[in-house]
Amino acid sequence: MTAPAQDFHTRVEKALRDPQLKIALERTTGNARRKRAAAVAAWPDFEAARAAACAIKDHAIEHMATYLEMFENNARASGAQVHWARDAGEASRIVIDLCKASGAKVVTRSKSMLGEEIGLPHALAEAGLRRVETDLAEHIIQLAGETPSHIIWPAAHRTREDVAKLFDQYHHEKPEGHDVVSMVASARKELRADFFTAEVGISGANFLVAETGAICTITNEGNAELTTTPPRVHIVTAGIEKIVASTEHALQLTRLLVRSATGADLTQYTTFHCGPKRAGDRDGPEEFHIVLVDHGRTRMLAEMPEMLRCLRCGACLNHCVVYRAIGGHAYGGAYPGPMGSVLTPVFDGLEQSRDLPAACTLNGQCKQVCPVDIPLPTLLRHWRARSFRAGHEPKAVSLAITIWAFFAARPRLYRMAQAAALPALRLFAKGGWISSLPLGSGWTATRDFPKPPRQSFLAAIRKGATR
Amino acid sequence: MPETGNALEKPRVGLFVTCLVDSIRPNVGFAALALLEAAGCTVEIPLAQTCCGQPAYNSGADDATKPLARAVIETFEPYDYLVAPSGSCAGMIKAHYPELFADDPLWRERAEKLAAKTHELLSFLADLRGFRPRNVLCKATAAYHDSCSGLRELGVKAQPRALLDAVEGLELRPLEGEETCCGFGGTFSVKYSDISAEIVGEKARNVEAAGADLLLGGDLGCLINMAGKLRRDGARTRVFHAAEVLAGMADRAIGEEA
Amino acid sequence: MSAREKIFAAIRKARPERATPAEIGAQAQACSEAMKRTLPALDQDDLAALFTARASSEKVGASVERVATLADLPPAVARYVASNNLAPDFALQPDPRLKNLAWGELSPGAPLRADSALAVGIALCGVAETGSLVFHSSPEAPTLYDFLPLHHLVALDAKSLVLRLENYAAFAQRLAIPRNVNLVTGASGTTDIEGVLARGAHGPGRLHIVIFD
Repeated sequence: MTAPAQDFHTRVEKALRDPQLKIALERTTGNARRKRAAAVAAWPDFEAARAAACAIKDHAIEHMATYLEMFENNARASGAQVHWARDAGEASRIVIDLCKASGAKVVTRSKSMLGEEIGLPHALAEAGLRRVETDLAEHIIQLAGETPSHIIWPAAHRTREDVAKLFDQYHHEKPEGHDVVSMVASARKELRADFFTAEVGISGANFLVAETGAICTITNEGNAELTTTPPRVHIVTAGIEKIVASTEHALQLTRLLVRSATGADLTQYTTFHCGPKRAGDRDGPEEFHIVLVDHGRTRMLAEMPEMLRCLRCGACLNHCVVYRAIGGHAYGGAYPGPMGSVLTPVFDGLEQSRDLPAACTLNGQCKQVCPVDIPLPTLLRHWRARSFRAGHEPKAVSLAITIWAFFAARPRLYRMAQAAALPALRLFAKGGWISSLPLGSGWTATRDFPKPPRQSFLAAIRKGATR
Repeated sequence: MPETGNALEKPRVGLFVTCLVDSIRPNVGFAALALLEAAGCTVEIPLAQTCCGQPAYNSGADDATKPLARAVIETFEPYDYLVAPSGSCAGMIKAHYPELFADDPLWRERAEKLAAKTHELLSFLADLRGFRPRNVLCKATAAYHDSCSGLRELGVKAQPRALLDAVEGLELRPLEGEETCCGFGGTFSVKYSDISAEIVGEKARNVEAAGADLLLGGDLGCLINMAGKLRRDGARTRVFHAAEVLAGMADRAIGEEA
Repeated sequence: MSAREKIFAAIRKARPERATPAEIGAQAQACSEAMKRTLPALDQDDLAALFTARASSEKVGASVERVATLADLPPAVARYVASNNLAPDFALQPDPRLKNLAWGELSPGAPLRADSALAVGIALCGVAETGSLVFHSSPEAPTLYDFLPLHHLVALDAKSLVLRLENYAAFAQRLAIPRNVNLVTGASGTTDIEGVLARGAHGPGRLHIVIFD
């Protein structure tokens, strides 16, 4: 994923100026939060289930080499071809080479965040292949010429009114109405033929099942199966952390993944794909390729293994006050929200993404709703510490922190500075409030600051005050 | 006073007043002192205290945080308890000091010992002292905001409500999104003030929609943030730390002059 | 070193394997068991009733009817065709159990097409917990029958019902691994526009299940 040209602050400013964005985000994430809450309420032992899900993922991570080897052997036995890629470029190249070898002109894709992570849409375009996104939301943003802004609802930044405009403009047959049902029907019609024209279908994987060599996809639309079954070639791209021991573990995790994402008990289509078409099969791909991608994951295994638990459910996005304020595009990486702020520094480098872990209130709601209990605030703080040590923080900020800490570590000096600062600050106040704070203009641009007291609490106590 | 299992007869409490209360709103410190004494504690206020170091820690400045943490540990080790009128600062000491000294066995042990006896004020009063305010009157409706660190790091949720329930005339009103962050986040509110403003904007709308006279909470940082936004938006909601109401010291709300 | 070797070397460096296969298997089993202990209780007495309640719930959105035997499927299909104003010809999953039924006025010989109005099939088994139908692909159960038609009508043997997803996983372990396992839970849907659920995204817009004994 190439980082956008603008910096984080510019993207944030743009997002905050867009009133439609806030409306769109609130509709999608608000629905998601309500449905998740209802699903969790119906599972009395949900906290214990989170711990159990965490243990299932940790087990696979602990024995990752063993299980990946088992997966590879079983997948090969089923007729699948397994490829390994160390980074994004290598992964994209493997996919493009496979497409070229199959003589493909049209490629269908079912939503895969890993595809975004490795820059696959861009690579396909460069290779001159027509890419058809089949997930409804991906279709919407492909029409709009955008990237996903949410890992579950890539078009979360678009209102139904936006979608109506896009479909009216681009669909061969305009939708019959601008209600959601008519627009969904219109997309169904629009994309139907492409499922059968494409020579290659590309999907991601929600799980790699070691015991069978199958890959699991979960969708609600049915587009994954229509993407992977009719074309002659099915290519799977998956991060190596998707490995799980068994079908049972995959299904157990899906239970939590789906509840955390959409509040459903199970996705409409939970599919295990194992190798190419077999003797007598009337459908199915003739070639089945699995591209297993590292792209920083082995580094994470050493440095932040908890993050490899991530199921990509999006609950942390839906519950994040920052995500809800600025939307996904402001983050500038393939993955937005709390999980994205942990992942993007791994993929794009900390220096250019240092704002992401910093732009967080550390309120902990992301961890609370995470189905595998990833300590996201701890991991974000870990990046902050790395960034501070590496000198990536703005000079003014690190200087201010250092000076403040110097005084705070010397109580007598601190008292003297405080005794001088409080009366000085009071000079800026009108009534009980300061509406323009020196060195805090960002704060007082939108809110007032209370007038400080003449003397501090400790100064009053020293003088024997009791209230 | 009902005795709880491990409650001491008259414990010595070191009041960690927090740097924000010290500099911005001493009344919260006096309220905490009064409440702890009413709950049967001997309260001492070490004058060497400054800040728990959270602003530095959350900025990633671990090396700058350590001297501050060591000072807090040294200062408060002698007491039976460290109590702070803030879930955020208590959470820093309880949850993060041991992390900070993960690679330093000596200090880690001292940090863990202090962590074990560190408490947020309202939960300390309710859970460890079985305290309820008596003959405190406050005729008003109030909304309660659950500050994030207290809620999620320390499990402070029922305690402030139980305490406020004993205040005569006070009626708690439901607040939409009461567990949602107000957008303060310490230095976040200065470094990313535009995002912070957007978040607190939504909070202020919810507070106004609750239609209560008062907005109460247990963390001064969040309260200042919300009060400042409410004031800028022209809302009439008066904002207090819950301790001020519980101690019967809720005369002047945040931003109200004598 | 190849990419594969480098990746494995990095993994083994961070997580050297010290456990025996038997130990790993036992740990995996313990993980499953721990999860099972957290699951909400379900009424196990009548799996068909539980399945019906789940499959026809608003969340899943299928319709369910119950008949005495598989021989009652053709009249059920006829009723469905009539009440939905569908043509009497439809695509029939090439399962011998279905082919041999007395279809009467109906024409089950239509080829499966991208815009088929109706396909009739039979599930391998059903999962009561989620109201899911399970299909294992084979020459007699091509995958696309479950995805192309606008209406999907599926026969389900009550005796094939299992309680939970874990019971299905255990059952599947005793079978050959198929090319495709499809767990179908209700009709196709999407929440991609503002999080609002709409049916019939790419897969079937309607799913009707006929449970037989």
